[in-house]
Amino acid sequence: MAQATRQGATESGQYTPVGTIHVVDPNPLNWLFITWNTMEEPVRTDAEGHLVGAAMEDSRWVDETTFEVTLRQGIQFQDGEELNARSFERAFVEVQQWKAPHPPGTSLNFHPDTRLEIVDDYTVRMIFPEPDGTVLGKFRGFHLASTRFWDEIGFGYRKLGTGEGHW
Amino acid sequence: MIDAPGPWGTGPFTLSEGYSSLYNEVAIIGADPLNCVWLDTREDRTDKVVLTANTDHWNKERGPRLERVVFLNDIPPAEALDLVCTTEGQIDIVTEVSPADAEKVENSEYAKLVIMDSMRVLVGIINRGAEDAPLNDVRARKALNMAVDRARLVSEGFNGYAHESAGVIPQYAAGYPQDIEPYPHDPEEAKRLLQEAGWPEGRALKLATLTATEGIAEILADQLRQSLGMDVDVIVVPDEDVLAAQHALVEKVMPLPFDVLLFNWIDLSSDAPPAFMHGYLYGAGGAFRAGPPVEEFDALMDQFAKEIDAGRQTELSTRIDQFVYDEALSVFLVAPKALYAVNRNVDFVAHATTLELAETEVTEDHWSRRNGA
Repeated sequence: MAQATRQGATESGQYTPVGTIHVVDPNPLNWLFITWNTMEEPVRTDAEGHLVGAAMEDSRWVDETTFEVTLRQGIQFQDGEELNARSFERAFVEVQQWKAPHPPGTSLNFHPDTRLEIVDDYTVRMIFPEPDGTVLGKFRGFHLASTRFWDEIGFGYRKLGTGEGHW
Repeated sequence: MIDAPGPWGTGPFTLSEGYSSLYNEVAIIGADPLNCVWLDTREDRTDKVVLTANTDHWNKERGPRLERVVFLNDIPPAEALDLVCTTEGQIDIVTEVSPADAEKVENSEYAKLVIMDSMRVLVGIINRGAEDAPLNDVRARKALNMAVDRARLVSEGFNGYAHESAGVIPQYAAGYPQDIEPYPHDPEEAKRLLQEAGWPEGRALKLATLTATEGIAEILADQLRQSLGMDVDVIVVPDEDVLAAQHALVEKVMPLPFDVLLFNWIDLSSDAPPAFMHGYLYGAGGAFRAGPPVEEFDALMDQFAKEIDAGRQTELSTRIDQFVYDEALSVFLVAPKALYAVNRNVDFVAHATTLELAETEVTEDHWSRRNGA
């Protein structure tokens, strides 16, 4: 089977998408799986569930409360817009305006007094009021969306009038 | 959640038709600072949700390897399972296959069973706040743990598709304490501990469950009856009462009507389980804590939350899991495996914490390639 499946790949190991599959997924987290298949976050999980970089190429703690994120260059939203530090900033502004945006609850929130600084086009710094050792896990729910998404529908904004409980 | 299709993200697929969304309502644990969770009230999915390959995706080594993924939401799971097992070209993947159906998939000419160690746990939440039972006494909680025959639970309740749990962290996740073993099945010691803790003569244990885990609850109840020589009342929460029961558990205003609640929980990564598992189950602000806060646990969690060194944080995960094991804060049961029924011509890459399909591909013999779909 492996040999046959590799026929979808180019010689460089890059894949040309082929085929259609039909899926029935009764998991109540299907809404999240659709999001994760179509949007990206700074991190994703590999098959074993370990966090790996997605839109984030690298990160480091500058000091105990300053977390620097380097975004991967060359990423485009599906409408052609470039993903850069401004995209991260927009997502941060959007998520911080709600009291409890994530369905699992406020434990996924960044501290409300967290500040963001743009260092350059692909580097941002998050300045927390206290150390946040769970920031990488929280990034799993920090969806990076295009400007059009925020302006036109948002996470429940247009349909429900709020992003509370809908990220 | 995304309420309308569009080129909204940078992911390997574009949401090109339909949506999958969720309605929920808030359950408040604390007001200052606000601490709450959202309880699902209704899923809102279109009959069909179509994902189309994002051919400009930056990570070409990962994928996407499929042109289209179509989620069919108007086919009941049982019917879908029949279709994937008996036909080709209708259903390619069915998730959340019950262990009871695994053999049907394995015997299928068209489908194969894909088994994944997932970040899922089944525990018995112990109501340490019960007024007329000594469940705030660690001896009683250890007694419950030693009354369980986990090997039998795995074989009879899960047809083998689960791992026996020691603490909360599954053995394949970060921070699993290498030195601990699941509590032994030792009915005599369990009876002795329960008597020492002062369990009232004739007081039946109240074991609550949702309908989805009723069968497991009955197996567990039989084990508790046999091991402890006590009556066990199984309380099945009717589906229509689940939301109210969830509010009661999360908001902690009214006394809880159970001693032990059979409870499935998950994590969204394998790297720092206390953030999503232990904190929810036992933390002072934990949605599923049943009973008074545990000061030593909360001190460890505070260290964990502020630890920015990954290695030291993993060490803290181990200490936290060891602590909840030593204190027997739950009846630790099993880590169920995720089961999928998959068409034989689909090379499905299962994930421990998600359903992402970027790495999944189909063979040349797959119906969609034969038909040019």
